[in-house]
Amino acid sequence: MTCRTHPPKQTLLRSIAVLALSAMGVGASLADTRSVETAYGPVTVNGQPERVVTLYEGALDTTLAVDANPVGAVITRGGSDVADYIKSRAGDIAIVGAPAETNIEAVISVRPDLILAAPRTNEQQYQLLSRIAPVIVSDVPMFQSDSWERETRLFAKALGREEAAEQVIAQVESRIAEVAALVEARIPEAQRDATLVRWMPQGPLVMAEGLFSASILQAVGFRIDDNDLVKEGRPHSEPLSLENLSSMDQSWVFLATLNADGDKALEAARQSPAFARLDAVEHDRVITVSGQLWTSATGPLAVLAILDDIEAAVTAIQP
Amino acid sequence: MLNALSPTSVVASRAFFPPLLAAGFLLLLVVLASLLYGAGPVSASDAIAALMANGTEEAWFVVTELRLPRTIIALVTGLALGLAGALLQSMTRNPLAEPGLLGVSAGSGFAVALAILLGATTATLTTLVAQLGALAGCALVIAATRVQGLGNDPVRLVLAGATLTGLLLALTSMLMLIDQRAADEIRFWITGSVAGKPLSILWATLPSITLALVLMATVARPLAAMALGEKAAVGLGHHPGRIRFLITLTVALLVGSATALAGPLIFVGLVVPFIARAFSGPDIRKTLWLCVPVGPAVVLGADVVSRLIAAPAEMPLGVVTALIGAPVLLAIVRAGRMPSL
Repeated sequence: MTCRTHPPKQTLLRSIAVLALSAMGVGASLADTRSVETAYGPVTVNGQPERVVTLYEGALDTTLAVDANPVGAVITRGGSDVADYIKSRAGDIAIVGAPAETNIEAVISVRPDLILAAPRTNEQQYQLLSRIAPVIVSDVPMFQSDSWERETRLFAKALGREEAAEQVIAQVESRIAEVAALVEARIPEAQRDATLVRWMPQGPLVMAEGLFSASILQAVGFRIDDNDLVKEGRPHSEPLSLENLSSMDQSWVFLATLNADGDKALEAARQSPAFARLDAVEHDRVITVSGQLWTSATGPLAVLAILDDIEAAVTAIQP
Repeated sequence: MLNALSPTSVVASRAFFPPLLAAGFLLLLVVLASLLYGAGPVSASDAIAALMANGTEEAWFVVTELRLPRTIIALVTGLALGLAGALLQSMTRNPLAEPGLLGVSAGSGFAVALAILLGATTATLTTLVAQLGALAGCALVIAATRVQGLGNDPVRLVLAGATLTGLLLALTSMLMLIDQRAADEIRFWITGSVAGKPLSILWATLPSITLALVLMATVARPLAAMALGEKAAVGLGHHPGRIRFLITLTVALLVGSATALAGPLIFVGLVVPFIARAFSGPDIRKTLWLCVPVGPAVVLGADVVSRLIAAPAEMPLGVVTALIGAPVLLAIVRAGRMPSL
């Protein structure tokens, strides 16, 4: 920006100087300036940011996965802190808002040099945040099987840690292969159909096939079918009528709750005769999982944690 | 008021049975519709086949385990709210005195929300709590009618009720901030629904509903006498104070039971007596009789609509009853002269 105020001649001289310096190999910090493609156009970031604010769970996950230093994060949906699966790694991180409402003053007070924002950040918010530090809003389409991977690469580029990201992604892929082999060994082909639901008092929400955790289930060999109950581009269906429960009757039911108390949710669900008669319930193939991790989080660490859950569930089955 | 004694009332009483029979017939149709239609893949013909004992196991389950319980619960809820509305309106001589509008339901709702937050799950406890809350709400309403100038101005009484409702809703929202799990349950419950409610709740409310019906039978005649004026009632040997107390108790039992069953449904207690009075005239006993088929038909009809309007999801019952009730409220208020009770 400041360049524009210089006379052309001076700019030219400067470019020559930069070229000369980088050719000599002493201009590392300047050469490290890169442009990241975001939803609001290219954003320039210098070096390896030291103080990162993440306004999106996937961004916090990636930042920690590539060993960068997050100094502020938002709470997980329905919680009062970052998600449980990532809490120990995040340590004593400052909370700067909730997923839909950022506390701008809190963001300023942690003096970030990079802000990784949520995919749905609106223009007004973006402009406001941009005055504090460079803002990265992911332009990766949501709810597709490779969304998390593309987001990880995008955030890693902004963080200047692309190599670390590739290592983590490779680690995730080998872990997926491991769990997939386990699934193949322990569950017959015909019984790998599964559904992912969140049990709400007003009825079950069926999660989209393209949702993050649903795509991991598919990656390890489960077949997920939302039976067209989920509208295009939505993360889940409306709360279904109990009369439609039979449409989620698959061999496996992964039952998520927003609070960690999965057993209580299962107990509540079991009291409904429509739920109790599902095949998966009768065959004890209902796996309660944390909604924080399974229906709210994304990122490489979340994949690893979800794979651990799947591994535990598959290992525990009685043939 | 005196025309209850005039010859025209003989004509009115003759015209009383046809509407009663028509309402009964309508109720039968609604019950049938409730068993045949739902938000799921089991169609009306599947349901008929199941009822004729040659349908699929799935259809049999949906009809008997899902549609039948909610049908029964909706019937009882409609009965309780319709009667409670008619009684409350007759006693306060105010056609707008509806448990939902006056804050009785909100009192009951707040009490249950508090109980859910504290971890209550048993149906019995919720029923008792809902009734205590309704009783407290009733007491506040009665106190409000005693305030100078408020008791004989229907709209001002409703304003007082709206204030109470607003306050209680705010308190309920505050409770929801405390606990996410409870918040989900309270949010669902407060909108009002009969979907997925187990019949065990019905068994828990049945004793108090029975008691309320017995109480109602004993006060119906004195209440009709009070419509002629308190002095006339005293002259006929009744005790207005005692009657008011018994009716308050009856209304609290009925509203508390209905709230425990289906959540705080607003407007039902307004719409049902409004329809009933259109056919019965001012006699409270006839109004009550007509409320017996009309109340269940209104609530169950609203429930059938709630299943069909947003399939495969369901619209909360409370939303549908509010959509039906709001125009009726406007009609009553706009009718220049309030129908006097």
